[in-house]
Parts: sequence; C-alpha cells; structure tokens
Amino acid sequence: MLHYVTLKIDGADIHAPKGSSVLEVAIEYGICIPHLCHVPGLSDIGACRLCIVENIVNGRAQVTTSCTLKVQEGMEVRTNTDRIKRLRHNIAELLVAEAPNSRAIQDIAVRCGVKEVRYPFRNNNCVLCGRCVRACAEIWHANALGFVGRGKDRHVERPLNMREEFCKQCDYCIQLCPMTITPCDGPMKPGEEYLCGKCESQLMITEEVPDSCAWCRLGEGFNCGRYAGLKAVR
Amino acid sequence: MPMLATKKDLEFMKERLLLDRKKIDKTVIVCGGTGCKASHSQAVIDAINQELLAQDMDTTVHLRITGCHGFCEQGPIMVIEPGNIFYCHVTPEDAHEIVTTTLQNGEIIERLLYNDPVSGKKIRTEAEIPFYIAQDRQLLSQNREINPCSLEDYVAAGGFSALSKAIGSLAPQEIVHEIKVSGLRGRGGGGFPTGRKWTECYEAAGDEKYVICNADEGDPGAYMDRCVLEGNPYLVLEGMMIGAYAVGASKGYIYVRNEYPLAVKHARLAVQQARKYGLLGEDILGSSFCFDVDVARGGGAFVCGESTALMASLEGKVGEPRPKDVHTVIDGLWHKPTTLNNVETWANVPSIILNGAGWFASKGTKGSKGTKILALTGRIKNTGLVEIAMGTPIRDVVFGIGGGAIDGKAIKAVQTGGPSGGCLPVAKFDLPVDFDVLYEAGSMVGSGGMVVMDESSCMVDVAKYFLTFLQDESCGLCVPCRLGIDRMLEIITDITEGRGTLAQIDLLEELADTVTQTSLCGLGKTAANPVLSTLRYFRDEYEDHIIKKTCPAGVCKALIEYSIDAEKCTGCGRCLRACIHGAISGEKKEPHVINPELCQKCGICRSECQQEAILVK
Repeated sequence: MLHYVTLKIDGADIHAPKGSSVLEVAIEYGICIPHLCHVPGLSDIGACRLCIVENIVNGRAQVTTSCTLKVQEGMEVRTNTDRIKRLRHNIAELLVAEAPNSRAIQDIAVRCGVKEVRYPFRNNNCVLCGRCVRACAEIWHANALGFVGRGKDRHVERPLNMREEFCKQCDYCIQLCPMTITPCDGPMKPGEEYLCGKCESQLMITEEVPDSCAWCRLGEGFNCGRYAGLKAVR
Repeated sequence: MPMLATKKDLEFMKERLLLDRKKIDKTVIVCGGTGCKASHSQAVIDAINQELLAQDMDTTVHLRITGCHGFCEQGPIMVIEPGNIFYCHVTPEDAHEIVTTTLQNGEIIERLLYNDPVSGKKIRTEAEIPFYIAQDRQLLSQNREINPCSLEDYVAAGGFSALSKAIGSLAPQEIVHEIKVSGLRGRGGGGFPTGRKWTECYEAAGDEKYVICNADEGDPGAYMDRCVLEGNPYLVLEGMMIGAYAVGASKGYIYVRNEYPLAVKHARLAVQQARKYGLLGEDILGSSFCFDVDVARGGGAFVCGESTALMASLEGKVGEPRPKDVHTVIDGLWHKPTTLNNVETWANVPSIILNGAGWFASKGTKGSKGTKILALTGRIKNTGLVEIAMGTPIRDVVFGIGGGAIDGKAIKAVQTGGPSGGCLPVAKFDLPVDFDVLYEAGSMVGSGGMVVMDESSCMVDVAKYFLTFLQDESCGLCVPCRLGIDRMLEIITDITEGRGTLAQIDLLEELADTVTQTSLCGLGKTAANPVLSTLRYFRDEYEDHIIKKTCPAGVCKALIEYSIDAEKCTGCGRCLRACIHGAISGEKKEPHVINPELCQKCGICRSECQQEAILVK
C-alpha cells in the first residue's frame, strides 16, 4: 500500500506518495521547476543544480536540489523565491555560455531569465548532464558509456575507450541528449555564438502564472519531465 | 605473544614493561617522521646505532625512533634524556661525538644546539625553546614518548587505559554524553560537533554500523593528520575503538592517503599488532565488544576527503560526492549508519574519556574547546607543526611561536584553512583561533593549515593559485563547481594579465556567491572563500591590477617590468651570468641594462643581485 505524506510547496498543501522526490511531485502538480539532468524513471544525481529549491528546516532556508530531496511529512519547500531565481539565473548563464549550440539549453536560459551572457562563449558539445550515462546503465544495463576524468577533464566516453561492443544501439543516449536539438536558426559556428532568446514570448506565459507549469513550448524544448512523462505514457 | 584477554592483563603488561625499562638509564630520541626522514634522519639513526654497538652501550642506552616532533625545519631532531638536551640539524658524522661526549661524559655539543633566530641565543634544552614554550602540546607531546611501530611503547606510556575504562565501566550512552559535554568539534574542516554526530549515529536504527577515520588529508601546506597517524597510530586506533563501542559499530576503516606511505605503513602495523594482542577482534578485554579495523588507501583525489566521496571510494565506486539530504550518520557507508571523523578528532577521544569532559572543556573558548594542531608555514622564522589551545590569538601564533617575518619584510596576511579557507589581513590578527570567529571573518580554522604571507605575495595571485588547485581537484559532477570555478579562474586570470574591468569584480562576487550556495558538496561550497576573503580585505590590490595595471607586490608577470638601478649597479656581472634568457647586457664595472623584449621576468637576477639594484615595477 502506498503511504502518503503532506507537504507544502510554495504555500500549497500537497499530498504526495512517500519516497518520491520534490521535483517529481512538483511536476505532477504542475509547478514549474526548470531542470536538465533529471529524466523521469532514471536515478537523480543532482548535477545540473537548476532544480534548486529552498527547503525550510527549523526556520532556515537551505538551498538544495529538488530532484534529490525526498518528500517528508510536514516539510515546507519554496521553488520560486528571489534568491532561488537569482541563483538559477546564474547557473543557466554558466550553462548557456558553455554550450550555446543547443536549443534545450537556450530555452533553459530563457526560462531562467538570462538576458545577457557575461562570459565569453565556448562552443562545447557536452554539458555533462549525464542523461546518456544513466540511461545506458539503468535502462539497458549496458554500461557502454561512462564519465572519464576529473574536473575540467571530465567527459563522456566508452569506458577504457574499448567497450564499443557493449552498446546495444538503442539510441536512448541520443534521444535524451540536450545537445542534439540544435537552435532554430541552425547550428552556431565557433566565434559566432549568441544568446537566442527567440522564445522569450513563451516566458510571458510562465510569468503570468507564476511557479506553475503553463505547458510552454520551452518545456518541450528542454525535454522537461512533464513532456517526457507524457511521451512515456504514449 | 601474550593475548590481552582481560583488563587485568593490560595492567599487568604495563607494570612489567615499566619494570623492564627501569634498567635503561639513557634514551636517545631521534625523529623518524617524514619531515626529518627527508633531511636524512635514517642515516643518523643508523650511525648512532652502529656507534652504540661499537662502544658496547646498546644495553644501557635506548635508541627510540619516534614520529614527528613538530619542528620539522630543524630536522633531523634529536633529544637526549635525561637532561632534555635538544640537538638539531644532526648529521651522521656527529654520531661518534654525540655518543662519546654527551652520552658517556654528559657534556653538551654547542655546535648542535638550537640557535634561536629571534634572540640569537643558543638554547640547551627542548623545554626552553620558545617555539615549544608557547604551545599547549596535548597530542603532539605524546609523539616523542613512543616508537610508532611498538605497541609495547604505547602501553608503557599508559595507552589503551581509556579503552579499558570505557568498555569496563562506562555504558555507550555515557561515552556519547561525555563527548557531547566536552564540546569536541570535528578537526577535519567543518567543525561539526562530534558529540552530536555520535548521538545521531547511536540513535540511528540498524544493527550494522561503521566508524571511519578520515586520513585523506590534502590541503596544500598542511600535514597534521599525517604526523599524528605516523607518530601515534595507536592513539587514533584507541579513539576509534572507543567511538565504535559508543555508537555500536563493529567494523572500522582508516582511509589513508596513498601519498603518505609511512602513515599507511604505521597504521597497518598498528592494526596488525592490536589484532595479535587481541585488542581488535572478538570479546575485547573480556567484554562482549567486537571490533575490527581495515586500512584502505585513498586513490589520490582531494575530493575523496569529503565524507560521501570517501565512502563511495571505500565502496569501490568512483570517488564522487552524493547529495547529503540524509546525513551519513543515518545513511552512510553501504547505506548503513556511519560515524566519520578526522584523525585529530579521533586522537582527542582517549584523553577526554581518561581525564573527563571537564578537563577538555577547560581549554579553549565558548564554542571551540580543547587544542588544535596547526601547520604553520610561509614567510616566518619558525615553521612546523604547532599545537595551541583554541582561542589563542593569531598574532601569538604568527609572531610568538612563528617568530615573526624573515628578511625584515612586513607580514601582510595569513591564509588559514587551506583551499577552502580565506586570507586574513594583519589588522585581523587579534582574532582567536576559533571555529565560529574565523568563519565570521570570512575564513575558517579548517583542518589547520596556516600560511603566512608577507609583502612579496600578491593577494590576487594567491586567489588564483587556490582556484587553480580547486579547478584541478573538483570532481566535475555539478555545474556550479565545475563551470563556476573555471569562470572565476578565467576572470582572475584576466585581472592578473591586465585585461580586467571593474565590472568583472562584481561578476566575480556574484559568481562566488552562486558557487557557494548551490554546489553539491563541501569542496564547491567553500571553493569561493579564497576569492571572497581576498576581495573583502584586499580589494585595493584587485583595483590596482585593474585601474593602474600594476601589481603592487611585483608578482603578476604581465603587469611588471624589470629594470636596473644605474646608481646602485656596480657592474659586477652576477646578474649577467645568471640570466638564462640572455636579456642582460653591460660592460664590467659599468651599470648593466635589461632588454625588456628578452626578459622573461623569472626573477633570477633579483635574487642574485647583492646591491639590490634590480627594480620591479
């Protein structure tokens, strides 16, 4: 039998099954928390830090990722305070400066209110969200992909660069990769990157109904859990 | 080898050892710690041994090879008892003279005595050395009493009596309560109250629990954990055994950094010997307490000093941290309740149990109790390991124990707490070494590193150094730490190379705040401290780099230029010969000149010049 707990997200009383994460519950209830590394059905590692929320513990607001935070009876979570918005904006800015060549990441930047990028652009083709690595390990148990290296040298590769035969060619890694969706105007050349911002009108919708999911096209772009969940149902 | 089956066996062993040792009338104590080993103390030990054999004194004179004494820069260090005679910089050639003059005739060799750089006087005994006098050496002083490879030495010095007291007459709750009352806080960096950690672990549900000793010390310039584990592994082991008994664990791990070969060796030896004596295993000292310890070697990542990354590494996974929404005292190693403490924290436990929580709490300040070992390094006269009571002002450590600046330069700042700590200016030197006070000031006690800097250090360059270190050591899992540190370093590099703008300082501050608040683990959460603290106290230096495009300390190469003061230059030609880039030209006895196009700003000429004619602008 499922046990339920009651918690407060942004002031709303919410009934949620025990063991689920705050992010999953929020998405289910239509509360919009931007996220990148979270994929429904896969384990959460808290890598992208976009889904940060304030968890009120003994009157103090602790910043933590909602994907790794499990719901608890009586807990109070705030997803859309000024502090969270500012921190989320800065993380999204770091991400889009690193990999502007992805519509998913450009959309996240728009959703988090990034209006200008204060760092020089780099044209990297991976932001190490780890979606592919976890999908490979957890859906097919193939382990054909893994993280190699530390810090600046961290990258995704076939372990020991020789596990090609482990790949079951399921294409999940490609489907889940945020870098495979190129910006609407086509790929940007190195040195010519820019902040797209074309979907800013979508932001209006999310701003009019604060902290609730308006089924904006942005979510589809960055493979938001709500759309991904829908796809799974179909 | 006798098994110590009961408490009485332990007491009997101690009495017998003390009786045996009454025959020895003289002891030569030589430091065999890593610091002294690097200054060839092994050769000194061998030479003294040979000399004692040759003079037929090996039965009356006891040669004890110990762990670190703390005064590493004077190594190899030798102390002769009775008399407390202190010799430093001993060489193997001195062995014959030491044995004949000091041991046989009781005379002192002036040449080997310590020369105090502050007063300029020769000092005869260890007890009179200012470096030691100003300290409160509770843990470090035990190092010279025992050979770290000999469990007998430790027992003779009163070892394992705290364990015997704990499992003989105290209930686990009482031990946890005692630690809580003592006010002991984690010595590894965070300063988390140890008593609270133990209470939570004690109360956590589960019949299988673990204790871990974190000896994966990696801060640049800090080595107190290495010294304690190398010099007195039994003390750490005893602390762990008491902790395991208190929280209900039956298995422990010592996670030692692989780059500390001597610490690995001594920890392993200690565990093996304790097993042989029955101090580890089943029914320890006649009680129903069962406990065993394994020594695991760290794989060489700084981030593995973080508790969850360390546990992942112990489990055989990649050493990466995981979110700590549920504490490790409830969900730790293999998802079991786990108490993880630092080497120094464990080492403090036996004396608290033996002398009582009140004794421990009598030292220190309101929020920080007991003593703390600091690794004092940098531009001061005396460097080494220093143990002080908590609450001692930084000024007393730097100017009292450290003896003040060298080369007549003015001290500018002290960097405390390693890469996660911050830089405090001289104006803040009256602050006590206290977890809460230093945190408020934008730095931290951390694991205890203390690097003193004088006016020849550029604070922007210092921040850049620590960021480079952290960028290398970040695991790269989460975005704020991986990209945030990278971008902070990018901005600081711009500033040191003259491309900085004032707007970048604001961006740097905002980014530092984001990294601090949103990173996954402790490494990222504290990574911005070097930047934030230098910005807080040395903002003028940042502004000089940006507005005036100069580096006041003459460190940042892109902003400085070397030239020769024609009035001071005597044309001796030293700099000309020393310059490997061929950038200096000039006739003999005529002032020389530096060709700025060829000059690589390495500074060799400046250190060679005896007239101080090389100018840096």
